[in-house]
Amino acid sequence: MADDRDITIHSRVVFWLKIILPLFALAILSTLFLLSRRIDTDAALPYARVDVEALARDPRLTAPEYLAVTEDGAAVSFTARTARTGQGDNDEARAEDLVAVYETPGGLRIDIRAREGEIDRPAGRMRLSGDVEIVTSTGYRMLTAGLDSALDRTNLRSDGEVQAEAPYGQITAGQMEIRHEDVEKPGYLLDFKTDVKLIYEPQK
Amino acid sequence: AGQGASVAFGGLRADTGLPVEVTADQLTVDQNDGTAVFSGNVLVGQGEMRLSAAEVVVEYGGEDQSRIERLHATGGVTLVSGAEAAEAEEAVYTIDSGEVVMTGNVLLVQGANTLSGQKLIVDLSTGTGRMEGRVKTVLQPSGGN
Repeated sequence: MADDRDITIHSRVVFWLKIILPLFALAILSTLFLLSRRIDTDAALPYARVDVEALARDPRLTAPEYLAVTEDGAAVSFTARTARTGQGDNDEARAEDLVAVYETPGGLRIDIRAREGEIDRPAGRMRLSGDVEIVTSTGYRMLTAGLDSALDRTNLRSDGEVQAEAPYGQITAGQMEIRHEDVEKPGYLLDFKTDVKLIYEPQK
Repeated sequence: AGQGASVAFGGLRADTGLPVEVTADQLTVDQNDGTAVFSGNVLVGQGEMRLSAAEVVVEYGGEDQSRIERLHATGGVTLVSGAEAAEAEEAVYTIDSGEVVMTGNVLLVQGANTLSGQKLIVDLSTGTGRMEGRVKTVLQPSGGN
């Protein structure tokens, strides 16, 4: 038979453990909530700092996309950061940080970037303003203050001065126009008008 | 090619390394083949050389159109540099070599003397030239520089 003394020691140890361990557990549990970090309940939900009334007052679209095909078969696409539809009768949609691309069947691609744009659908035209940059796939990069471009055909006219970097030199002119010519030689023409000046640096 | 007269041009000279400036009323660039045409009071300037014409067509050098090889001026051309001037119907100016070939009723005025012919080849870098085709000279006896 096991030695009596061992059994009594064992049972006494178990007896005391049955008391100490629960007490210890109780102590841990009670201090757990005491020492825990305070959770800042109202910071837990970050609210967007946007003026809700302003948002509600003028309905706007974010990252709208406008796609169309012009009479001369060019695919036109506009994307903007935000756009607001026109209120009242003039129905002018206003857009910010606008990117427009004309891709013509002939392979010419015109990329336009502007800070602001107003799309006048009844007139079928769009007025871009704010550091307008026009880049053509034929290597012309033009900067102008404003651009008036048609939605139904490839026709872009700068309103005012234009500075252009051509593959061969710098060009400045009073006005720039990209248009589709379909009479004698169908194709796209880039016209610089009024006080055109080219500076060409002959490579030595 | 008829009798030719080589002529010394003190004035018709230009530093072919200087930038070429072309001003006009309009420049039209055809976007599918890139041909560029200046039209309306076109004035090509380099250094103190001036070439004016009704229309100038740009002819590119490289494939990437980054260099201009020649300027074809038509519709009545006047080349002026210093005291000397030359008029013709057409002119071709090769920029890198500085050579201007003027054709069609060419009239060259040097101070009081005039020289006319069918074709005038001027080398702007050296200021020398050569008139060809029924060359006629009118020397003003009284004048003379």
